[in-house]
Amino acid sequence: MTPVLPLDGDATSPPGVLGHKGHGIDMMRRNGLPVPPAFCITAEVGARYRTEPAATMDAIWHDVLAGVGRLEAATSRSFGRGPHPLLVSVRSGAAVSMPGMMDTLLDLGVNDAVEDALAAEGTATFARDTRRRFDDSYRRIVGSPPPDDPYLQLRAAVEAVFASWDSPRAVAYRAHHGLDDRGGTAAVVQAMVFGNINTDSGAGVVFSRNPMTGAADEFGEWVPGGQGDDVVSGTVDVEPIAALRDRQPAVYDQLIGAARALERLTSDVQEIEFTIQDGTLWLLQTRPAKRSAQAAVRLALQLLGDGLIDEAETLRRVTPAHVEALLQPSLQPETRLAAELLATGLAAGPGIASGRAYTEVDEAIDAADRGEDVILVRNHTSPDDIHGMLVARGIVTETGGATSHAAVVSRELGRAAVVGCGRGVAESLAGKLVTVDGYDGEVRDGSLRLSAWSEDSTPELRELADIARRVSPLRAHTGGDYPRLDPHSDTEVRSALASGHSDVVSASPLLAMLAAMRLDS
Amino acid sequence: MSELAVLQAVRLKGRVGRDDLAATLGEDVAATVDQLIASGLLLDGKALRVSTEGRARLEELLTAERRHADQAVLSAAHRDFRSVNTEFKALVTDWQLKDGRPNTNEDADYDAAVLTRLDGVHQAVTPIIANAAAQLPRLDRYGAKLQAALDKVAAGDTAWLSRPLIDSYHTVWFELHEELIQAAGLTRESEAKSGDAH
Repeated sequence: MTPVLPLDGDATSPPGVLGHKGHGIDMMRRNGLPVPPAFCITAEVGARYRTEPAATMDAIWHDVLAGVGRLEAATSRSFGRGPHPLLVSVRSGAAVSMPGMMDTLLDLGVNDAVEDALAAEGTATFARDTRRRFDDSYRRIVGSPPPDDPYLQLRAAVEAVFASWDSPRAVAYRAHHGLDDRGGTAAVVQAMVFGNINTDSGAGVVFSRNPMTGAADEFGEWVPGGQGDDVVSGTVDVEPIAALRDRQPAVYDQLIGAARALERLTSDVQEIEFTIQDGTLWLLQTRPAKRSAQAAVRLALQLLGDGLIDEAETLRRVTPAHVEALLQPSLQPETRLAAELLATGLAAGPGIASGRAYTEVDEAIDAADRGEDVILVRNHTSPDDIHGMLVARGIVTETGGATSHAAVVSRELGRAAVVGCGRGVAESLAGKLVTVDGYDGEVRDGSLRLSAWSEDSTPELRELADIARRVSPLRAHTGGDYPRLDPHSDTEVRSALASGHSDVVSASPLLAMLAAMRLDS
Repeated sequence: MSELAVLQAVRLKGRVGRDDLAATLGEDVAATVDQLIASGLLLDGKALRVSTEGRARLEELLTAERRHADQAVLSAAHRDFRSVNTEFKALVTDWQLKDGRPNTNEDADYDAAVLTRLDGVHQAVTPIIANAAAQLPRLDRYGAKLQAALDKVAAGDTAWLSRPLIDSYHTVWFELHEELIQAAGLTRESEAKSGDAH
């Protein structure tokens, strides 16, 4: 097996070898979409690296250099030197994405001479910005300052990708999901394109349909003049994707066209990472969009209506867990999006809570004693803040990550929590009536009402039930002269199937039929 | 029991009952507490609290305590702690959340894999506490409290990993982190800003 595969549309290997990112890139290039050239160091190499790191790297290095050579030829640029330097990104790509793995290192291949060449080609500001981005992320990911030699940078980055397979978080994740621990991750090396090069540039993420509400419109955000990591960093202001339509209509149309094409090719709603360099669109990766339970139902029905999937697949796209979540009171996406967004941070404690924001522990305790619903907002939490957290329904902090003390204690107390909302949030929220959304990492204005869907009255669930009665091995009805499944459980469904029943009465017909389809397959 | 140990323990707990205070310090504290209340440094009530004067007094005592300590050793202890801290926080988070949802503790293999990592954390933190306690002997108590929490977790009482308001592993850890930040002459604000807020 070749250790290094070009991702030029002819890489026929499965995701297990290429990794999901490599597989997506290859699929896009095969279909003529604008994707910067890339190659993949296979997951088999990643697996071998774990036992014999040095020998494995030595053995593949010649092929990696050849891969870089192909990127140079395809871009008419040269890696590690001017006058037209090639920079690359290095990404991990396990067959299944998992937490704890190294994600992306951008702008690799820069040193003093390359920075000068970039400045001569573009501007000094662009060159300096690119160098800073590389230095910061290299130090963060590899743990030391970058060496001058771009090839040593590349080697260290690839090793960091391979080694991240064995990070404690990734190991625990695989153990939990019963994933094979013996494998390894692929590494994808791709020619950089630059969203930070001038004002006709930028980077963003677009969803082919709205993954929160399930509306049919495309949805997304982008950062003019930024790179991909800016979009998720939360440190710079992102603009809605509609702003791109106003600014660069032709690029916008091309992007939406590509999103539609990828939806048809994959039969699913896609989340697509893109960069615009000086007015030219580039797609960097695509994957099935993560979606809310509401969106899971609505998007499955839309894809059925558009003829992209059949009825059986429509029901596979909606899990019993989705339906169960929808039947519980929750903050509906429409309600959420209609309320003013006051702060965003990391979702650190699941739950939704409303109340008045207090920034001092003693004041929060006094307010709770008066019977008020309290939201505690702090810069960060200290050990002695515990008593304020106890009386609060929700917790918000300005600094700290998803594993911070505030996050740990909030989860332990079962409080909705959003952390790391940024400086000034305590002051701006103080005294306001707010809703803390610990699922989406948001604080919104007002005390928002929770509501639930129902199998009887929500049109989408009725439509799904009608489809299920045509497709499921078990037809479940709300009434009629049939055996009764009571209460709903997989065991009840299994025994009804085993007894050869085709029609039953159930208090939750849709859940019963979805369960029957899964048990039957 | 020293004024310093009692004031610092009450400050870290925020509000604490006399029994819990004695338990966390591992000694009878009644006489010291009465004296601190009499001198206005502690506020009595449903729970004990440190008064404004008590906080000022505590700062003086902590400064005096550090006067004879080797600052370089304390800074090194703080630095070493931070690297173990990252793994410990990830471990607790993995214990609490599975796939972004609350861990229902129905998957014994998953839970065991997470808890196994606690042994490594404990081995790594033990010498750090020893180094710091060689300078500030008061900190020795944290090693004993972590060991006690670890023993309970190992015996299957997993509430002692991260439950607040008891001296769980996380509660003790968090207070120890606060001690080390102060011992290194830093503040939690600077710690939070550098992305290592615990």
